[in-house]
Amino acid sequence: MEMKIEDYLAQGGQLTSPGNVPPRYRGELMRLMASFVDSELAGAAGFADTINDAPGIRNRIAAAKITQEKLDHAGRVLEVMGEFGADTARYDTRHDWAARMARDADLDAARHGDDMRLSVFHYPIAGYVDAVVLNVLMGLATVVQLHEMGRVSYAPLADAFREIAPREAAHVDLGLKGLRQIVGDDAGRQKAAQSVAYWLPKVEASFGQAGSARFEKQARLGLRHTENETLREDWAGRVADAMSPLGLG
Amino acid sequence: MARFLPLRVTELRRDTRDAVVVTLQPRPEDAGAFDFTQGQYLTFRREFDGEELRRSYSICAGRDDGVLRVGIKRVDGGAFSTWANEELQAGMELEAMAPMGRFHTDLDGAVAKHYLGVAAGSGITPVLSIIKTTLAREPKSRFTLIYANRSVNSIMFREELEDLKNLYLGRFSVIHILKSEGQEIDLFTGRIDAEKMAALFENWIDPESLDAAFICGPEGLMLTVADSLREAGLEDGQIKFELFASSQPGRAKKKAVSRDSAQAGEATEAVVTLDGATRSFRMPKQGETLLDAALAQDMDAPFACKAGVCSTCRAKVLEGEAEMAVNHALEDYEVAQGYVLTCQCYPLTDRIVVSYDE
Ligand SMILES: Cc1cc2nc3c(=O)[nH]c(=O)nc-3n(C[C@H](O)[C@H](O)[C@H](O)COP(=O)(O)OP(=O)(O)OC[C@H]3O[C@@H](n4cnc5c(N)ncnc54)[C@H](O)[C@@H]3O)c2cc1C
Ligand code: FES
Repeated sequence: MEMKIEDYLAQGGQLTSPGNVPPRYRGELMRLMASFVDSELAGAAGFADTINDAPGIRNRIAAAKITQEKLDHAGRVLEVMGEFGADTARYDTRHDWAARMARDADLDAARHGDDMRLSVFHYPIAGYVDAVVLNVLMGLATVVQLHEMGRVSYAPLADAFREIAPREAAHVDLGLKGLRQIVGDDAGRQKAAQSVAYWLPKVEASFGQAGSARFEKQARLGLRHTENETLREDWAGRVADAMSPLGLG
Repeated sequence: MARFLPLRVTELRRDTRDAVVVTLQPRPEDAGAFDFTQGQYLTFRREFDGEELRRSYSICAGRDDGVLRVGIKRVDGGAFSTWANEELQAGMELEAMAPMGRFHTDLDGAVAKHYLGVAAGSGITPVLSIIKTTLAREPKSRFTLIYANRSVNSIMFREELEDLKNLYLGRFSVIHILKSEGQEIDLFTGRIDAEKMAALFENWIDPESLDAAFICGPEGLMLTVADSLREAGLEDGQIKFELFASSQPGRAKKKAVSRDSAQAGEATEAVVTLDGATRSFRMPKQGETLLDAALAQDMDAPFACKAGVCSTCRAKVLEGEAEMAVNHALEDYEVAQGYVLTCQCYPLTDRIVVSYDE
C-alpha cells in the first residue's frame, strides 16, 4: 500500500518538508537552489554599480529596485536551504559576489570559481547601456527558467519561485523601458547593439547543453520538466519579440 | 542552526485506539518562538537506545486556540509514534524546534472564499489547524472537508469536527469517506480515487467555487486528488500539499566502524557510491578533499559552496574514518550517524567507504 518516493515523484508527486526528502534528491535540490541564490547574489552585486551609472533619478530608482529585489529573491530561496541545515547567516559572507573575470574571458557554460553562479555572471558589465541590455536578455531567461522552476517537485521551493516570478518579469519591463530611451538616438542604438552582440551568446549558453545527462536525472525526481533546448527556444522567441520593435533584432 | 527548546506535556488525551493528542507548553521565554502559523509542524528529537531520532508532527490547534497541540498516530513498528502512544505522559518534557512548514495560504478577514481540505487518517492534523484558523479569521469564508478513514472508530478528532460544524453552521461541512464501512450514501464508502473525486465534484462540491485546496495524506491520495483538482480547473498555486512520508534515517544501522582512527598510510582507497553506482579509487589523505577526489573521477557528486556552509555535499561514511576541516551545516546528531560534508572531508583510514545515497 505504501508507495515508494521514487514512484511518487515519477508520477508528479510533490515533497513538502526536509523530512520527506531522500538523500540524492536532497543533493540535486540543494544544488539547484544554490545555483539560483548564487546567480541572484552575483547578479545583484554586478548590477549595484548601475545605480550610480544610471542617468536621471527614475532610472537610478529602477536600478536600485532591481538590485534590492534580486537580493530579496536570493534570501527567500536561501531560507529554504536553511531548512536543510545551510548556515544562512554565513552563506553570503563567504564570498566576493562582485568579483568578475575579464570582459574577453572565454568561459564555457560550466561552473567556474567557488560558487554556483551561472557563468554569464562572471563577465563584467561595461556601463549603463550594457547593464540595461544584460538585464533584459538575462531577465527574459530568468522568466523562462522561473516558469519551469515553478513546477519543481519540492513544494516550498515551487511556492517561492512562483512568488518571485512576477517580480523578475517586472525587472524585464523596467529594462525595456530603459532600453527604449537608449535607442532613441543613433549613438545609443549603436551602443545597445554592441551590447546585445556581446551578451546574447553568453545568456544563451546559460540554458545548458541539449540532451544533458543531468536533465534526465533531475527529470526523474520532478526537479525539471522541460528540455534545455525547448527552454532556449522559448527564450529566443521572447528576445526576438522584445528586441525587433527596438531595431535590435 | 537548529535549536531545540523544551516543551512540557500538560495534557495527553487518547483520541482513538491508535492515536493520542498531546498538549504542550513552552517556557514563558520561548512563547514567541512557538508562535505558529496554521498548518505548520513541530520537529521533536528523542534518543532511542543512544541514537537520536527526529520526527515531525503537525500542529492540530488553531492559531486562536491559545494552545500548542499535536496528534500522533501509532505506526506499526514505529519508534517515536509507538513511544508517544504508549509511554508519553502528562508532566513529561519533550524537545522540539520552532514551528516550520508552509502548508498555508494568507488569510484576509474581508474575503469570502471557499476552501477544500482532503485528508486521510492522521493527515487531518494540519488540516484541522487550517480549518479552525480560517473559519475564525475569515468570517465570510467556507470550508469543505473530505476526510478518509478506515472505519468510524479510527476517525481522529471526530467530536471536535462535529463541534466545529455546530459552531460554524453553514460554513463548515465534512464528508466522511469510510473504507470498510457501508454508509447511507454509496459514494461515501470505499477509497478515494479519480472516479470518486469526479462524482464528488459532480454532486457535492462545485469545483468552480474553490479558491484553494489543502491535501494531506499518503502519496497515492495526494496524486489522485491533485490530478482531479487540476482537471477541475485549479492552478498549481491553488493546491497546497503536506506529505507525512519520512525519508529520515530510521532506528539506524550504525556504520560498520573500525574506530581505530588515523592509520599510517599516506593514501586511502576510497569507495564512493553515487546514484546506485560504486567507484573505487586511490586518493591522498591530505591535500585533496573527498569531494574533489570524486569529482576528479568524473563522478557527478553534488556540491555548491565548497565552504562547509550549505550541506549540499553531504554523504555518509559507512566504513572508515574521516575528519572535516570546517562544518557549519551538519549537526552533532548527523555527525554521530556518520554524515560528513565531503567538501571539507579528509580520510584518516587506509580505506573509506562513502555513500551519497544514504
Ligand atoms: C511534515 C510532517 C508532518 C507530520 N505530521 C504528522 C502528524 O501530525 N501526525 C502523525 O501521526 N504523523 C505525522 N508525520 C509522520 C511522523 O513524522 C512519523 O514519520 C511517523 O510518526 C512514524 O515515525 P516512527 O518513528 O514512529 O516510525 P519509524 O520508526 O520511522 O518507522 C517505522 C516503520 O513505519 C514506516 N513509516 C514511517 N512513517 C510512516 C507513515 N507516516 N505512514 C506509514 N508508515 C510509515 C516506515 O517505513 C517503517 O517501516 C509527519 C511527517 C512529516 C514529514
Ligand atoms: S558544498 Fe557546501 S557544505 Fe560542502
